[in-house]
Order: sequence, then structure tokens, then C-alpha cells
Amino acid sequence: MNATAYYLTTLLVYLGVDIMAVWALNLQYGIGGVYNFAFVLFQAFGAYIAAVLTLGSSSGNGGFQNYILGATLPFPLPIIAAGLASGLLAVVVGLVALRKLRTDYQAMVMLVISVIATLTVTNDTGLFNGPAGLSLIPQPLSNVVNPSSVGYQWFYVGITFVICAIVYVFVHRVTSSPLGRALRATRDNEAAAEALGKDVVRLRLFVFVFGNVIAGISGAVLVQFIGAWSPGSWMYVETLVFLTAIIVGGTGNNLGVMLGALLVPVGFNEATRYLPQIGRPGLIDALQWIVIGMLGLVFLWFWPQGIIPERRRRFAPTPPGTAPVSGSAGSGSGAPLADPTVLGEPR
Amino acid sequence: MTASIFIPSVGFGLVTASILALAAVGFTLQFGVTNILNLAYGDLMTAAAYIGYVVNRHGGSIALSLLAGAAFGALSAFLLNRLVYTPFLRRGTKLFGMVIVTLSVGVIIQNTLLAIGGATFFTYNFSVGSAVHPLGFVFNTSQLMIIGLAVAAMIVVQLLLTQTRLGKAMRATAANPGLAQASGIATDRVVDIAWLLSGLLCGLAGVVLVLNTTAFQSTTGSGFLVIIIAAAMLGGVGRATGAMVGALVLGLVTEISAAYISPSYKEIFAFGVLVIVLLVRPTGIFTGAQREVAG
Repeated sequence: MNATAYYLTTLLVYLGVDIMAVWALNLQYGIGGVYNFAFVLFQAFGAYIAAVLTLGSSSGNGGFQNYILGATLPFPLPIIAAGLASGLLAVVVGLVALRKLRTDYQAMVMLVISVIATLTVTNDTGLFNGPAGLSLIPQPLSNVVNPSSVGYQWFYVGITFVICAIVYVFVHRVTSSPLGRALRATRDNEAAAEALGKDVVRLRLFVFVFGNVIAGISGAVLVQFIGAWSPGSWMYVETLVFLTAIIVGGTGNNLGVMLGALLVPVGFNEATRYLPQIGRPGLIDALQWIVIGMLGLVFLWFWPQGIIPERRRRFAPTPPGTAPVSGSAGSGSGAPLADPTVLGEPR
Repeated sequence: MTASIFIPSVGFGLVTASILALAAVGFTLQFGVTNILNLAYGDLMTAAAYIGYVVNRHGGSIALSLLAGAAFGALSAFLLNRLVYTPFLRRGTKLFGMVIVTLSVGVIIQNTLLAIGGATFFTYNFSVGSAVHPLGFVFNTSQLMIIGLAVAAMIVVQLLLTQTRLGKAMRATAANPGLAQASGIATDRVVDIAWLLSGLLCGLAGVVLVLNTTAFQSTTGSGFLVIIIAAAMLGGVGRATGAMVGALVLGLVTEISAAYISPSYKEIFAFGVLVIVLLVRPTGIFTGAQREVAG
């Protein structure tokens, strides 16, 4: 049946987009310890850039939308451009927010930046058409496959998962490399990592930009599918949904956060869609947010490591005679480094 | 440069600054003492405004609404800390986990208000009073009351922090909790009082905010939270006096830019000021040697 196919394919595209987003945010928060409360801003920016680069000149469609940079680039250029644009924005934001500031200050600055961005886009109607947002965004390769067919829906699911796979290759390369170990070390104990010669600010800046490139790509994939984008889609609390997904799935674990993406943004929104509309309009929405908030609290209380916890990393015991701290930089998950006296012991 | 709109816009700036000062001092005081970034603060303001609304609609005076809002704010901030935040801390939730906890609590409060009150705007039943023009300013009685209340509250907070043993204990706890405890300060009690005081100011700010904007909804407080954080950061987070000055700067910047450029950009100007300050002096304008806080 057509309706089921449409529903299922839409769900799968959302799932792919959310998985990319949680991988990216997990890389920043779960692996690198960067408190990116402006995450959704970078996703949104990617979406806007991809949208204006496919919409063509702003005078098109009778000129009813105002926006910058109108162009008609062929697939997959808008998606790549979206990733680059979000990465560029991340460099600027990162240089302001990640230098020198204490981590809780960073969290505050990110929150502030996320809200400034929403206000700017809403008030400056020439940028991305203000509060009404952009619509009628053409779908990619619609000249090759008929965009109103079920086949196109499955085709787009394919595109989404191919991009997902490419993103995973990059994410996995970072998390499983020495770079990933250095990032975990700065997350677990900034001072110790710094003492071992790791450039904490550079590491954080790297993971911030890298993650936000992926955020931009995920936004682009989403907007090219749904065809519309407005400031209402990226309020700062949306970041909380992704963070909750990460906490539920398992902070620091790529597989775990994938499960989190399936359960929280996708599973939750869909499950509540079938509830009867009881009470006044907006009640179900409110209850949904309450449950998402509760879910985060319950997991942080009972299962702070999530459903699939981060793998404990073990390293070969240090042979006697070498520097006793050499293995400790990446000693991984959970508690901060043990006190220095323990590190000094032979075994 | 038209002088005729300058003085009135300074007046509006003072009103905004007063509301912001009440809120930002409460926010920064609690953060300084407890080191918990309470992102539920804005939603607590909205909740207090609702309580004030209920009192008002049952025939209570504005003074009674303010009192009810303040009492509700103090009590709920105290309970929130005792029943949610402190247990999480004891369970070993780290800094970032705590930020998620407070943000989740905020979302829960906001949407509970939405579920109970519905997605409509609420207005208090009151008159803003007649317009008065002291020194070329244009105020109504309600705005003068807001400024008066804020000035009084700021004086009380300042005296409390600098002139009393309790204030000294609070400053000591903020600077170094371990050392404060070792010197015989009952830091648990100081933390409780910090939450009560913060909640009281939060509740007052919530009611005063909606008296000034006249209409409010479930997202009013959380929308205001970010500019509260900006004011607190501008003055150096944890510093009450800094937050007062931060509020004054942001209040004036927003209203004067609204008068001369465009009201829709006023918050952006405020945040612009913050970003510039952060670039030049990341810990705020009024910080001396920055205290080191572990974790």
C-alpha cells in the first residue's frame, strides 16, 4: 500500500538524519567533552545553505521568498556545500567560545549563540525568508526519478543511507584512532591530557568543527527531503532531544547512540503520533516534551552510561622501567584518572 | 540624532535593566555558591508568573501577586535543589550531566505549565497607572514600581553580601567550599539559603517581567533566560554586583538600539555586546583574579 510505503520511507530518512546527528554530537560531547548546546544551529545552517543552493535565484517562484546566495547546484554539491558552510561557521563560533573559557561557560555561550542565531534569522527577513522560512525546495535528482513516486521515496532512503555510511567511515576513523584516544583523555581529565602535551583547545576545536560539518550535512539531507525549513524547526531545545538520545543509547558509543536515535527522536515522535488527540490542542505535544525530559532524568539516575555503555578500554600493563604514565592518557571511560600515587605503582 | 527619543529610550532601558537585574542577580548568586548551572531558572520565572496570575485573578492585589510569586519561587528553587539537583550530585552526576538535568527540569516545568494552562496568552488584571514625566522620562506608575522594587532588592542583596556574617559565609562558600567548611561554615545551610534567595529573586522577576510585558505564555521565561545568562556573564558569572552592572548595560543597549535602529534587532545588539566582551575578556568585565573551580 502506498501510504504505508510513504510513511515507512519518511521514517527511514528521519532515522538516517538523526543517526548522523547523534554521531556528530556524540563525537563532540561523548568523546571530546565539548558542550555543544548550539548543535541544532549547525544542522539548521546546513539545511538553509542546501536549500538556497537548490532553490535558484531569489526572484524565482514569483519572488515570494527572500534569501541570500540563490543558486541551482546539482546533487550532491548542495549537501557538500552545506557541510563546508556549517564547518566554517563552527570555526568562527569555536574561536569565540572554545578558547580559554571554562567548560560550563562554554555551555552558556553555546546556548546564547543558538538563541542569537534564531533571533537573527527570524528578524532579518532578507537572510532566509524570516519567520516564514523557506519552502518549495526542489528534491535532488528529480529529473532522473519522478519525485512524486514511491520509487523516489525509496531512492531517497538509499541516498540517505549511503551518506550515512560515508559519515560513519569518517566518524569511526576518528573514534578508533589515536586522535580519539587523545579526545577521550581531554574529556576525562583536561589537566592530565595537557600535562602529557595534548593541545586541549586544538583538539576541542577540531572535534567541534568536524562534528558540525556532519551536522550541516544531516540538515541538508533532511531539508532536501522535506522541502521546507523555518526557525520553528530548530529551537535550542531540539539539541536536548539529541542529547537525550545519546544519554539513553550510551554516551561515547557510536552503536549505542544509533540505538538512542532510533528510540528517542524517531521512536518517540512516532509512537505519540498515534495517540488519540485528547484534551486541548498542543496537550500531546506538551506531554511528549515532559516525557523526553523525564527520560533524560531517569537514564541519568539509573543508567547514566546508557543502554550500550562505552567500551572500557584496556591497555597492556606498562613494562617496568618505562614512564609510568604512558598508558594512562587513553585509559578511557568513566571515572577521571585515578590519583597520581596509584599511577606510580608498578602494576 | 533625535534627542526627543533618547531620554525615553533610556527610561525603557532602566525598566528592562531592573527586571533583568532581579533575575540575573538571583541566577548568578546561586551559580556562584553552588556551581550548578540552573537552566530551569527561566521556566521557574514563568511558573511564578502563573502563580501571581492565579492570585491576581482571584482578586489579589499586585503586591500580593508579587509576594506569592516570590514565595513560590523561593520554595520551589529550594525543593528543586533538595529533591532533584543534590541527589543527582550525590549520585556522582558530573558537570555536564547536571546541565542536562537542569535543562530537562526546565522543559518539564515549561510543558507542565503548557499542559495545565494551554497554549494561550495570559494577562494580569491591573492598570499600569497614569503616565508621569520625571526629568523628561516617560514612565507609568507600574514601571516606576518595578524600578523601585529592583533598586530596593539590589540594595538589600548588596548589604546582605557585604555587611552580614551570612553574606560573608556565602562569599566564602563561593570562593572555596572545602576551605569554607573547614573554617566552620555550615556550607549546606549556606547552599540552602542561596537557593531560597535565588528562587525569591527569580519569582519576583517572573511576576515583574509579565507586569511589564503585560501578556505571557508558557515560553516567556525560557525566552528571557538567555539574556539573563548574558547579563550574568557580562558581569562575571557568580558576581552579584557584576550581574547588576551587566543588567544595566544590556537593558540600556537593548532599548536604545530599539529606539534608534529597530526593535526587532534589540536582543541581537545585546548579544553582540556579550560576544565582544567574551572575545576581549572571557571571564566578564568585573572579575579580578578568577577563582578556580574544579570539575
